[in-house]
Amino acid sequence: MTNFLHRIGQIFQKKDQESVPFKILFTDFKKSLELNNQILDLIAAANDKLSGDYIFDEQYIQTTCRKLADLVRELIVTINHLTGQKYPDLYNIFHHIEENIEAVLKGDILYSIDDYTLAYTSISRRIVDAVGGKNAHVAEIGSQLGLRIPQGFAITTAAFSAFWQQNNLAEIVSATTEQWQQKIITVNDAAQKIQQAINNSALPAKLEREIIEAAEEVSKEQEETTPRFAVRSSALGEDDVRSFAGQYHTSLNIPIKKMPEAYKEVVASLYNPEAMEYRLLQDFRPNEIMMAVACQLMIQAKTSGVMYSYDPVQPETETMIINSAWGLGEPIVSGKIPTDHFVLDRQPPHDIHEVQIVHKIEKMVIKGDEGIILEPVEELHGSESSLKEPQLQELAEIGLQLEKYFKKPQDIEFAIDQQDNIVVLQSRQLGLQQEITPRACDLTELVDKYPILLRGKGHAAMGGIAAGPVWVLENDGDLSDFPMGAILVARHASPQLARVIHKAGGIITDIGSTTGHLATVLREFRIPALFNTEKATSLLKSGQEITIDTECLTIYEGIVKELNYYSFHEEAIEEMYEYRLLRRVLKRIEPLNLLDPKDENFSPQGCQSYHDLTRFIHEKAVETIINLNFYHAHNRDTQAGQLVWDYPLDLILIDVGGGIETGPEKGIKPEQIRSVPMQALLRGMSYPGIWDMSPSKVDFSSFMSSLTRTSATNNNPEEIGRNLAVVSAEYTNINFRLGYHFTVIDTYISDSMLDNHIYFRFSGGVTDTTRRSRRVRLLDEILSYYDFLCEIHGDTVVARLKRMNKRSMLQRLFLLGLLVGFTRQLDVKMINDSKITIFFEQIKNIMEENNEQ
Amino acid sequence: MSNEQTSILILDDEPIVSKRLKPSLEKKGYEVETFTRGADALQRVRERSFDIVVTDLKMEGVDGMQFLTEVKEKYPKTEVIVITGFATMATAKESFNKGVFDFLAKPFKLGEIAEVIAKAEAKIKNS
Repeated sequence: MTNFLHRIGQIFQKKDQESVPFKILFTDFKKSLELNNQILDLIAAANDKLSGDYIFDEQYIQTTCRKLADLVRELIVTINHLTGQKYPDLYNIFHHIEENIEAVLKGDILYSIDDYTLAYTSISRRIVDAVGGKNAHVAEIGSQLGLRIPQGFAITTAAFSAFWQQNNLAEIVSATTEQWQQKIITVNDAAQKIQQAINNSALPAKLEREIIEAAEEVSKEQEETTPRFAVRSSALGEDDVRSFAGQYHTSLNIPIKKMPEAYKEVVASLYNPEAMEYRLLQDFRPNEIMMAVACQLMIQAKTSGVMYSYDPVQPETETMIINSAWGLGEPIVSGKIPTDHFVLDRQPPHDIHEVQIVHKIEKMVIKGDEGIILEPVEELHGSESSLKEPQLQELAEIGLQLEKYFKKPQDIEFAIDQQDNIVVLQSRQLGLQQEITPRACDLTELVDKYPILLRGKGHAAMGGIAAGPVWVLENDGDLSDFPMGAILVARHASPQLARVIHKAGGIITDIGSTTGHLATVLREFRIPALFNTEKATSLLKSGQEITIDTECLTIYEGIVKELNYYSFHEEAIEEMYEYRLLRRVLKRIEPLNLLDPKDENFSPQGCQSYHDLTRFIHEKAVETIINLNFYHAHNRDTQAGQLVWDYPLDLILIDVGGGIETGPEKGIKPEQIRSVPMQALLRGMSYPGIWDMSPSKVDFSSFMSSLTRTSATNNNPEEIGRNLAVVSAEYTNINFRLGYHFTVIDTYISDSMLDNHIYFRFSGGVTDTTRRSRRVRLLDEILSYYDFLCEIHGDTVVARLKRMNKRSMLQRLFLLGLLVGFTRQLDVKMINDSKITIFFEQIKNIMEENNEQ
Repeated sequence: MSNEQTSILILDDEPIVSKRLKPSLEKKGYEVETFTRGADALQRVRERSFDIVVTDLKMEGVDGMQFLTEVKEKYPKTEVIVITGFATMATAKESFNKGVFDFLAKPFKLGEIAEVIAKAEAKIKNS
């Protein structure tokens, strides 16, 4: 705090007593800025811990949360002091968030509502803890994007808790789990015991009634006379980074009266042996195991399929993948039937790169009044493509739309209904392959050394190299004998294989789609896998040693020693409880929901996280200073005005002493500015030619106008979202909001070298993370080159510089002016890494020219 | 001793520390034993010596300081690395006179502790 505050005395000229009020006001303002910075730094540092490089414990999470709470509380006190207690509501909102965080720290999973059922029309991601990710996503796809979804409702985690409590299930579960973990009973026995207990338990009468009522209501709304439902899991965490893809039960074509039973069955699948083993691996705590359920009106699908908005194995190809077959989707995602395979360009018009139509023998259809059945495909349609070209195009568009909305590559399940409409059944984040390992086929000499058993067959479900003995799964074979490190060879890519994935070196299947559930799970564990080879089970024998290079679709005979180095895979940090706990508390700390000050939700009530509170208060602090000094001019010791120059940057200048020369007109022209640091900054920002660097056709004026004017037609004098500079002869404090970027500069420059300092903070941005990280790298490189001490957290750069002579300091402020001026453009233009060097060189040239002047 | 594996004992009451450190150090070729209870760790050091001991200071029910004091008394050549929460760093540094090799504030990066351990190992091998 002292850094920021101790110079305020120096800044204000002590000419008269009246300077005190603004001095106090400004002290509060600066304090709020300092707290703002500390909070954002702490959040960013906590977020860094999720990267996997750190070892942190629960104590760290607790300390961080409490430190943040203290800072945010102090910030609320400060803004209320600054504004004369204008925002008392912030205390309550803060208190609510703090309580939630404390509850999460104690291990509670919070679900925000008490209803047992919720219609899709009233569901959003805000209540994801109550309805699970699957429900929340589908509901939003319908309500926010207007895409066709199956209508339905969610049975909430509150319902789950009620069911659990009424039957003391927690006790049974914990006792049985204990026995299993102490190896007294097997996982199969434990699962059976728990599932039996669940099936023997009665649903609370209220819950049973409400399920039926909700189902009837949806049916009535949709005018379904013989409604049938799909009852699916929507467990907490199921759609997160971790995936339980395909491990839970789904009941299809269920009449209303049987839905309570179907609900119980789905809930019981929470204790499938596969799911139990999986959770053990992932260090799940008992209170983390909760299931919401999705009840959706059945779609009688002609065709079903899965689309990946990116090729997860080779994202650099910029393609999308669609796999589909006739009938309902269940056998497709569980790898039971072969699928047609399409690869499309991500860019419209989505050129088709690859089409593989398989011969389709069976399809899943609804069976009369209840249940489903596999039936033969009519001979006529066996080899016909299950999707038509216009449908592929439409799907591709939907894929991009979903990706844009959820801001992550998507794994989408869809159906084509009887009217040929595309219905989105679910959409969740698609994990892209993290690191591209070197490919064996690049090591050309290998081909001469090792016989190739298979080449060019199948699809890589996860890229990589694995070597080891083959273990062939016979039909209905027992997976419990699967040896550690073996390469699993199976007929189908069935989700049941997920049980042994953590033991497997690699996986090869005859049939199976790279967009299926198993593929999702094994990408998470980074197990190299080759699907759809057609003949692996007949070609390979148990015990035979092989090496697979899935990206090159090659199976070598023997252990290729040259590749052993690459076969090792990293431990997954997601397996740690502490990691999940940190993620969970950060959910209440980090998300920024208040983006636009013009929005209705830009209010204390709109704040859902500490970040929101901090953002809101920062905006209000700047606004208060501007309103009091510019619009109302209460302080006789300050002079304020709007900057008038060639660029329409909405900047309000407040002079606290010798920073601006009084002029005849209301506006302040650049030549009236006497503040030495402000002059240097503006010189940088208006440097001729800097805007020509960008290939963008948008000229500076219209560009800045679109970004900095919150509303061109809005003439309300107390306009929100202004930029502010508080200046004196030797001091400048800047708060800029350009689009979604925030820049704070605080600097004091005099002849006395020891007092000189520059603080620069830059954050935010609307482009994708790769480009943002390039921008951060560019800023880091440039600023470090010019002697700043830089700290990088996520997409935020904080740079500090102290104790250089006046000339050097001013040069660097000029540099900051250049950077502030065009970094927003950089974001858009940072299309590849080489741009970093190019921009760096250009900046250096300008600096050198400027030096010579 | 240059041909032998360097042995490391880790004591931290938070299991995640051992859980993450052990595989990472074993991959680097160290022999690693981990403990979450001070009593168990004490028992073990009474049985055998370790080249390097990594311990937290402030743990529930365990006095890390007492543990490291006993280790240093019994095996003066053992290098002790203290890992502790940021809040207790000041206290930790006060104990430098116990002959502690180095301190790390939690949270730390895997690379950071690997570096400190490598330095301690180098010191042992040169002595």
